[in-house]
Amino acid sequence: MSHTSRNLVVSGLARVEGEGALRVTVRDGQVERAELNIYEPPRFFEAFLRGRSYTEPPDITSRICGICPVAYQTSACNAIEQACGAKLDPPLAELRRLLYCGEWISSHALHIYLLHAPDFLGYPDAIALAREHRDIVERGLALKKAGNSVMEFLGGRAIHPVNMRVGGFYRVPSPSEFAPLADQLRRALELALDTARWVATFDFPDLELRHDLLALHDPVRYPIESGTLATTGGLAFTPAEFPRHVTEQQVPHSTALHATLDGHHYLTGPLARYSLNSSFLSPAARQAAADAGLGPQCRNPFRSVVVRAVEIICAVEEALRIIDGYHRPDRPAVEVTPGAGTGHGVSEAPRGLLYHRYELDGDGLIRSAAIVPPTSQNLAVIEDDLRRVITANLDLDDASLTALCERAIRNHDPCISCAAHFLTLSVHRR
Amino acid sequence: MVRAQEAVPAGAVRAVVIGVGNCYRRDDGVGPAAAAEIERQHLPGVRVVISDGEPAGLLEAWAGMDLAIVVDAVRCVPATPGRMHRWPDGQLEGGWTASSHGLGVPAALALARALDRCPRRVVLFGVEAADLRPGAGLSPAVATSLPDVVAAIATELRGAKVPPGRSVRP
Repeated sequence: MSHTSRNLVVSGLARVEGEGALRVTVRDGQVERAELNIYEPPRFFEAFLRGRSYTEPPDITSRICGICPVAYQTSACNAIEQACGAKLDPPLAELRRLLYCGEWISSHALHIYLLHAPDFLGYPDAIALAREHRDIVERGLALKKAGNSVMEFLGGRAIHPVNMRVGGFYRVPSPSEFAPLADQLRRALELALDTARWVATFDFPDLELRHDLLALHDPVRYPIESGTLATTGGLAFTPAEFPRHVTEQQVPHSTALHATLDGHHYLTGPLARYSLNSSFLSPAARQAAADAGLGPQCRNPFRSVVVRAVEIICAVEEALRIIDGYHRPDRPAVEVTPGAGTGHGVSEAPRGLLYHRYELDGDGLIRSAAIVPPTSQNLAVIEDDLRRVITANLDLDDASLTALCERAIRNHDPCISCAAHFLTLSVHRR
Repeated sequence: MVRAQEAVPAGAVRAVVIGVGNCYRRDDGVGPAAAAEIERQHLPGVRVVISDGEPAGLLEAWAGMDLAIVVDAVRCVPATPGRMHRWPDGQLEGGWTASSHGLGVPAALALARALDRCPRRVVLFGVEAADLRPGAGLSPAVATSLPDVVAAIATELRGAKVPPGRSVRP
């Protein structure tokens, strides 16, 4: 061990959804390794689904993640409906998008205000932020509540919504029932605009992602609940072609799988969505992005907080647009007749692309299932980020460098609980 | 699972029982399981909420309540699976929950204090877990202790008194 060796251990990576472990080794001024250890991919759920009915994945897989259950339900429904050759009536597809908007608002507000903002403002956590800026945290909670209200109204409840089913919903509301929700969302739009103005004032360390970005693409609007796939490298493909391009590999330091896109690392999530679709943002969101200084693309992970704020505005505007144009659908769900086949479903979870695949037999029982959550797709890029952040900041003391590493991870809002629990962070300088 | 507030009889408190956890993480489901049992008792003035521990949801659930009872799995080393712990007044430092949901219950309480969104009184119940791996169903030791946990919560609710100077809505 050389005279430049240092050893630093930090127990617990705070303010990341779920738990995992980060190990960083610096030797003689060089980053030797930066590994985010994730212990458990959603393989249990994939095994648990085998032999179940085609109607069950939305409810079962929504239990994988308490923060983004609608994403799991939607990707599951999209895949099964594709396998069965079913297509939602347009008003039902709009309602599914509305429900998903609620999840974006709720999840992004939680991340911005309670998990991410303290990093930029020099507070150890949201509790310290709340003690000095109660009004700010109250605004975040009110915004989150508006998102929860959408999920409670349309999904039946905010945690693990129960109203979504393969083919649509169990019950659809009458137009008059939307009035209180619309009022709340109109107030939320102001809060969302204030949020974007607020986060635009933060200081952002320099860091530019060089990786390919992968997100859904929709020819007419910002992608949320469905779409085809596109990359900043110019690749375009359908959900059914996802397994041909994206493969998962076991890596020695983690039981989570690392995904690659045609053999290289790539990133999904707000930066990818925005960079590939910023021209499709809703009007106020597009204006807010411009006012916040975002260009047509954003490749600085620290600025993801701004993109999330812009996406909240977009989600609120979309929710209001859908409510304004709402007519009660003729039926709450389309008929879905099971048949042997394979379906692929994608949607944009708040933290990135979520892919589901189901193979059904002739009786509609699941023969196999595959789930690729956003965090396992983003892990390799998060590790690359860490290597670059550490290399550029080796002059910092251990505590400051560790804090910066934690920030670099939080930039990506990894939902490690999708894939693992129980995190320990350790940094070794040798 | 949120049950509409029932009419509160005179002398009763407004209380919420919050079961925190994930029923697909074996013993992490003990909180929701206990809360579901309490709901079946239809106690007047008692609201039952199942939570994944997400802090903003907890603040919503317990704000304005006379009494909040939070029940969750705890990880102990060494563990005596099924053993129940009770922390009156919510006086517990971080790191106690076996769940992995964002900030955790102690941090959510601290946030509630900073925002004046605490209930008048908080009682935390923790049940030592044996098995937190993915899967449905409680371990035998935790399942065996469940009736005692439910009884302890019910006793806590029955023993709760209306705070002095507070009028109870009829």
